[in-house]
Amino acid sequence: MSPSDTAAPFRRRRLTAARLVPLSMILIVGLLVLAPLLRILLATLTPPGLEAWTAILASPMSPNLWWRPLMNTLILGLGVSAGCLLLGGFTAWLVVMTDVPGRRILGVMHTLPFMIPSFAAALAWGTLFRNSRMGGSSGFFEANGFIVPDWLAWGIVPVLIVLIAHYYSLAFTIIAAALSSVGADLVEAAQMTGARRPRIFFGIVLPVVTPALVSAASLTLAGAVANFAAPALLGLPVRMQTLSTRLFGMIEIGQAERGFVLALLLIAVSGVFLFLSDRLVSGRRAFVTVTGKGGRTRRFPLGRWRWPLFAAGFGLAVVTTVVPVVVLVASSLAPQAGALFSNWTLHFWIGEGGGQIAQGTAGIFRNPVLIAALFNTLKLGVVVALISMLLGLALAHTITRNKGTVLANILSQLAFLPLLIPSIAFAAAYIALFGAPLGPLPSLYGTFTLLVIAAAAHNLPYAVQAGRSVLGQIATDLEESARLTGAGPLRRMWAIIFPLAIRGLLAGAILVFVKMVRDLSLVVLLFSATSPVLSMVAYRYAAEGFMQFANAITVLILVICLAASLIAQALQTRVQKWKE
Amino acid sequence: MASVQTEAGDAIRITNLVKKFGDFTAIPDLSLSVPPGSFLVLVGPSGCGKSTLLRMLAGLDEPSGGEIAFMGKTVSSGAGGVIADPKMRNAGLVFQSYALWPHMTVAGNIGWPLKVAGWDRAARDTRIEEVLTMLGILALRDRYPAEISGGQQQRVAIARTLAPKPAILLFDEPLSNLDAKLRIEMRSELMRIHRATGATSVYVTHDQVEAMTMATHVAVMNQGRVEQFGPPRGLLERPATTFVATFLGTPPGNLLPVTRRGDNLVHGDVPLAPSALARGRDAAQLFYRPEQIGLGRAEGRPVLRAEFAEAAPMAGRVMVTAATGGLRLSAIVDQFPDARPGDPIEFSLSGAPDAVFAMTGERIE
Repeated sequence: MSPSDTAAPFRRRRLTAARLVPLSMILIVGLLVLAPLLRILLATLTPPGLEAWTAILASPMSPNLWWRPLMNTLILGLGVSAGCLLLGGFTAWLVVMTDVPGRRILGVMHTLPFMIPSFAAALAWGTLFRNSRMGGSSGFFEANGFIVPDWLAWGIVPVLIVLIAHYYSLAFTIIAAALSSVGADLVEAAQMTGARRPRIFFGIVLPVVTPALVSAASLTLAGAVANFAAPALLGLPVRMQTLSTRLFGMIEIGQAERGFVLALLLIAVSGVFLFLSDRLVSGRRAFVTVTGKGGRTRRFPLGRWRWPLFAAGFGLAVVTTVVPVVVLVASSLAPQAGALFSNWTLHFWIGEGGGQIAQGTAGIFRNPVLIAALFNTLKLGVVVALISMLLGLALAHTITRNKGTVLANILSQLAFLPLLIPSIAFAAAYIALFGAPLGPLPSLYGTFTLLVIAAAAHNLPYAVQAGRSVLGQIATDLEESARLTGAGPLRRMWAIIFPLAIRGLLAGAILVFVKMVRDLSLVVLLFSATSPVLSMVAYRYAAEGFMQFANAITVLILVICLAASLIAQALQTRVQKWKE
Repeated sequence: MASVQTEAGDAIRITNLVKKFGDFTAIPDLSLSVPPGSFLVLVGPSGCGKSTLLRMLAGLDEPSGGEIAFMGKTVSSGAGGVIADPKMRNAGLVFQSYALWPHMTVAGNIGWPLKVAGWDRAARDTRIEEVLTMLGILALRDRYPAEISGGQQQRVAIARTLAPKPAILLFDEPLSNLDAKLRIEMRSELMRIHRATGATSVYVTHDQVEAMTMATHVAVMNQGRVEQFGPPRGLLERPATTFVATFLGTPPGNLLPVTRRGDNLVHGDVPLAPSALARGRDAAQLFYRPEQIGLGRAEGRPVLRAEFAEAAPMAGRVMVTAATGGLRLSAIVDQFPDARPGDPIEFSLSGAPDAVFAMTGERIE
């Protein structure tokens, strides 16, 4: 840039100005991310806080408060991650490396389960497998004469199954991407040496995708450890506690300090695993980018196994996507859980209250609480999406412009910190910071504002990533070549930068929107009666046994998410026709 | 068409090879053979089937028909498929993308094929050191592929292929990812390696300069067929088809379509040569080399008018390009023409046409 080179007097001022931006950014991000974490740590160092530490870690109550939830959490984490590696690895291998029929369709279908919120899968499980032990209506199978044992209806087994069904598609996405980067050349070069198939697989293919396997394992593990919805819906009724449900319970009953201690412990548990996996794949062994033109992949012929394996892959996708959605839709229409496909009525959607069904409760679209929740949810989604993207773009811009400086490094580390923190623990930290009046600020607990701030902060990593990719798409020479034509800054912005950036911005905003609409674990603590959101209302209904209403609301959430994704896709092809 | 003499001692003998992909026939019927120690270059435009042929030689693809024999032993055939035993095939392939295994060090990449072949540790280490020294990259021994430059990766890829001492070396456009200077360097390096190992080599490229400088035998390929096969000089001096004539040589030669008018073959209205050259045909194409075309009129020589396009210095002389009626003519002259692009200039043709081709492309003797 010529001004700073030629005009020496301006240099000093420019430098301070240049520092000012990243510094103020660090301040903002620090307030959003670091302050709540420090506050929650400090809150546990007060006398009542220290008492909570003792109560949880070294008291007669600690098996109940800490050790058993920890065991359950670890079993879930390790079990889910092992299951996801198996299923995700198998499906990825099937789709990328073999000549299985219908590979494209399978590939799309296996990415879908992750789009469906885990509480949807948990609700669908309950609708099918509930037994009468907990009272209330029994599920589809028991009502039809099957005996559903307790271990299959409640507790750790169904939670494991539901979480694996949810997270395996994350593992699939990561492993499939890594496998498709193993170019045919690499395999062929090994073939030329005369190595047999198993040797090529274990000597070449597996080591190359190992980093992806490790990161898939650690991400699914962190997800399972932090998950709230599935253990809350399927575990709590039989008092199966995980760290996240324990944490929720403590804050619910007003034992805030104990909740904070559990939040810190939860962060530590998930942090340990993420740290270990990072150590495992970091350094020079992190050969993520494979050299060469990995365009072509070599497909192994499956021979007579083609159709059986297709059936396995297809069946898995159907069970994890189609079945839950169908069950939820049918259940929201059927008066009796035992007869999902008969006597359909729209009562749970639009019925008037006071009748025979559902203890006289009106359908969800007649329920003012629900209508308010619907608008709140949309408002929350849109506001958080906009704020996150603006913040993310600003941060990404600051980070790329100050690349290599200490400030930029601090900033990017800070912005990615929320990724390591389970959302329910993050919410607890926000309660610790804003639960009481803070200087001139009034207590924000239970307000919409707090929800927005916390959500924006928690989505920061995604927003910054989206912002970076947006800026990365706009190489500086694109703008410079436009400047050489004599176009002014506004015109360049409108004709060059905006069309190139819009796709990334939209994609990022939609991602954040969808994450917010289907989020439960963050809002479950920050929600209040004045600002209910859909997922929270669904959870309440489910906890009270109104399964049809819960399912109907979940269907509504799925429809909103689907619509948002479709709109985003339509907009993208409309605004960027050259990408077709 | 290719003239093939089959001898018992051929290092590579390809007989009536056919390759089909579904309905598409990539190679209709191809026969070729080279003696041990030769350097065969397959050259042709992209999509001509040269890489398909190489992949069949490497045993990565099966032929749909015909047979490939190395050192007198059949290694692939349409009937028997690929005979996969690499010991018997004894061939190594250098990939265009290098295909270095990213999770192994340089030494690991070179050692793995030896391990698969059952070499013991001491022998492997000696051989790794040997090939690394041969290619001058001993210092890179413990680096990972992602940590070295493209030119170094290339050397590692070659070292890995050489390590098991294959009798036949296959190269798939190995230099196409390098910059111009490195390419020339590696070209002489490859020729040195060829001399040192004595391995029969097959080298695929679309760069005719590479073909002309490296080969003992060249096969010019077009649409799955060998248009002409022979030593590079023979191809340059006696092109068998218009395709070969215009594909080889820098700059490429000029083809002038002519029709018979009386005793002469005329291009436009300009009589160029006696009609006897066309052997009774009404139309033919005359081949003139760039050095047969001079600037300006000359006594007793046919003159062509053209529109000047460009002039480029070339080894002390000047290459002049001009357009006439949809044709591009290239001439090598001594002086820069006094013309600007678009100006009319005159070319005079000296001597008899170097070759005469039928309209269908084959040479008329």
